[in-house]
Amino acid sequence: MSIWKFLFNLDERRYWYLRKMPAGPLREYYESTFPTPDTDWRQVEYLALDFETTGLDKDKDEILSIGYVPIRGQSLRLGEADHFLSRPVRAIPESSAVIHGIMDDTASSARPLEEALPRLLKSLESRVLVAHHAAVEYEFLSKACKRIYGYPFIAPVVDTLALEVRIFRSMDKPIRSGDLRLDKARVRYNLPRYPAHNALIDAIAAGELFLAQSTYRKRRKRALRLKDMTVIT
Amino acid sequence: MTVTIRTDTVDIELLEIRDFLAANHPFDQLPEDALAELPTMLQVRYFRRDTIISETNSLESYLYLIRTGAVEVFNIENEILARLGEGDVFGYRASHRPNQIEHHCTALEDTLIYQLSAQDVDKLCEHHTQFAYFFSSVVGDRLRDAINQATQVTSSQVNLITTPIRELIQRKPVTISPSASIYETARKMSKERVSSILVCAKGQLAGIVTDRDLRNRVVAEALDVNLPITEIMTFNPSSLKDDTFAFQAQLHMARHNIHHLPITHDDGIAGMVTATDLTKHQTTSVVYMVSDIYKQNKIERMQEVANKIPDLLVNMAVAEASADSVGHLITSITDAITSRLLQLAEERLGPPPVRYVWVAAGSQARNEQTAKSDQDNCMIIDDAYDPRIHADYFRELAKFVCDGLNACGYIYCPGEMMAITDKWRQPLTVWKGYFEKWIDQPEPMSLMLTSVFFDMRRVYGSRNLFREIAEYALEKTRGNRIFLAFMAGNALSHQPPIGFFRNFVLIKGGEHNQTFDVKHNGIVPIVDLARVYSLAAGSKAVNTLDRLDVVAEGGEVTSEGAHDLKDALEFICYLRIQHQARLIKAGEPADNFMSPDHLSHFERNHLKDAFSVVRTMQNTLSQRYKM
Repeated sequence: MSIWKFLFNLDERRYWYLRKMPAGPLREYYESTFPTPDTDWRQVEYLALDFETTGLDKDKDEILSIGYVPIRGQSLRLGEADHFLSRPVRAIPESSAVIHGIMDDTASSARPLEEALPRLLKSLESRVLVAHHAAVEYEFLSKACKRIYGYPFIAPVVDTLALEVRIFRSMDKPIRSGDLRLDKARVRYNLPRYPAHNALIDAIAAGELFLAQSTYRKRRKRALRLKDMTVIT
Repeated sequence: MTVTIRTDTVDIELLEIRDFLAANHPFDQLPEDALAELPTMLQVRYFRRDTIISETNSLESYLYLIRTGAVEVFNIENEILARLGEGDVFGYRASHRPNQIEHHCTALEDTLIYQLSAQDVDKLCEHHTQFAYFFSSVVGDRLRDAINQATQVTSSQVNLITTPIRELIQRKPVTISPSASIYETARKMSKERVSSILVCAKGQLAGIVTDRDLRNRVVAEALDVNLPITEIMTFNPSSLKDDTFAFQAQLHMARHNIHHLPITHDDGIAGMVTATDLTKHQTTSVVYMVSDIYKQNKIERMQEVANKIPDLLVNMAVAEASADSVGHLITSITDAITSRLLQLAEERLGPPPVRYVWVAAGSQARNEQTAKSDQDNCMIIDDAYDPRIHADYFRELAKFVCDGLNACGYIYCPGEMMAITDKWRQPLTVWKGYFEKWIDQPEPMSLMLTSVFFDMRRVYGSRNLFREIAEYALEKTRGNRIFLAFMAGNALSHQPPIGFFRNFVLIKGGEHNQTFDVKHNGIVPIVDLARVYSLAAGSKAVNTLDRLDVVAEGGEVTSEGAHDLKDALEFICYLRIQHQARLIKAGEPADNFMSPDHLSHFERNHLKDAFSVVRTMQNTLSQRYKM
């Protein structure tokens, strides 16, 4: 897998999957083009995304809720934001329920992921995924796509946590434990304190953090390009 | 594995953002359903410290609400218009003045902004009148609206503040011709069951006769009742036009100690209003209190009347009287007590050997007292004053009055600016010398004294003496730019309690922790500004609203500026009265330390508007005098 990533860029892999992928929501997603890495980052559309899950193990745990908000023209479009629950197969472990507050009762009335996923994929078309510690969202989403559509999910990704690490390094500041948590990072940019662990609020929180971080990466001669922001291109 | 599960979605929940909107003006004016929908109309933007907000160069495409951070707003000349903080709005239709268009903005801190498109603002305005009001007008109008909204009469009681006096006229005027005899007049009064009658010649008011006149001038003097009524009537009694507000009429009667007031209209006499007509509408009536004061011969009894002032303030606060009228009414009681004390002193010490005038200074002079305050007064004596012969008389007189005032709750002035102090009880020439020194050698102490003694009003005694000193002082200051510059500097020494980020600046620690001093930081700055304008314009006006009216015409300040300051003063004073009334009702002494927590969101916001007006005008003044 890692050799794949190394040898082929995102678009090449997208074409590779498209060669034999059957019709369906994931194919439609792959038929839209990815923003190219050399584009001015401001011309690109993003989707700030957050999942609440039953745990952090992508092989065992499940997505419970999905929240997202598009970013266009350096502004979060709350009118196009969305939030929905997805019904897990297994019971929700208590250890995660205390964090996100989603109980079995609530979740059992939700749609299964199969029905929720097309909506999310539609919103991701031609956009860059933005999340704080994006590996979680990326891997859970990819795992779900493999299970449901038989193919993995790929997309250009901005990880606000990774951006934060870069900013710390560029300023030669030591990173202490907890410094990179979403709420801690937001405080540094004078962003308001939000209640955590609601997928939509966390998605908005990550989106705002991305806007903030981007303003702190502007001090260069050449305009920043998408590839200056992303961890996966 | 096939999973078949029923499906559902959850509505978008942006409660967090909705709650923030609901807590901030003007969004707090929206109904619940509109508020719930509003977050989905927003866009979120982030601006780094020191960057320009909105690259499009137009702030008119959106209404911006500051979620966190701070923003400076400039006009096209790059002059700062406002510093805004969390919860403040700017941009589309939020502009403060028609001639000061918001041109560009800079983030002072890292700032998160919610923006609402112009079309959406228009749509909301169309459907929600309360919300629309915020955008309809400039700060001044918003303040005026705040005052109106705050002073809406809630009780069924007739509101003397807004009722024209003609509505209190009970019946057609009872009149008699000047050729009638005293006897005929008394017969007619008896038949008509009135306590006073108007003497009219050809529809014009010539005089007035009251029950009391018949008793004092006829019966007590054993006068022949067949004499013409003109023998005993009061000629050309003071009268008011029928469109005068009832409270002004009440005030007029309180000041002149009269109980019967003829009311005129363009065609002649409209009728008569008596003190009783007015007191029917107000239980703790000022007229009643003032006339009561004039009946008292003992200080203890006057004290009892003065003790009712807090109740009076509460009543007026409940009736939502305007701050201006409260100031006039309460001050009229102080004036009455002062005058009565002087009458009693003269009865005791004999008539004054030379002319003098008793002058009120400070808030009493300006007719701006609320709950009882310190006494500020002085005495100007004719130059015929010979200290070897007259010193004792005037010292005794001043001591009697100042002690009496103190006993009535007007405590001795801590700065000793009272007639009881030898320095402030001097002949005219000495007073002229004082003013000359203060004006020619402005140093901190002089400036402090001038700010007290330039607010002067005659309460009792010689009008001519008062006119001489007042005109002398004005003559010395008019066009004296050096002195005015010092006064202007002095006027900036009290700042409105509003911070860089449009937050309230509160007292930290001590007895008044987490409050602001509404007198020194709210009212005094406006009073000081008005004094400088007024001196520069060479105006005799003393009351702050009067001063602002005068200077608005004279061009010392723009008429919008003066108008906005008037509204700011009225609103701040109104809140102070409500605050003091609340304390009095709770059995606590009235003070000037207000906590923003006791204000509604609406009041807080308008108070900030008011303070911003003061700050803007202070900045303008400092530029004008190049400080």
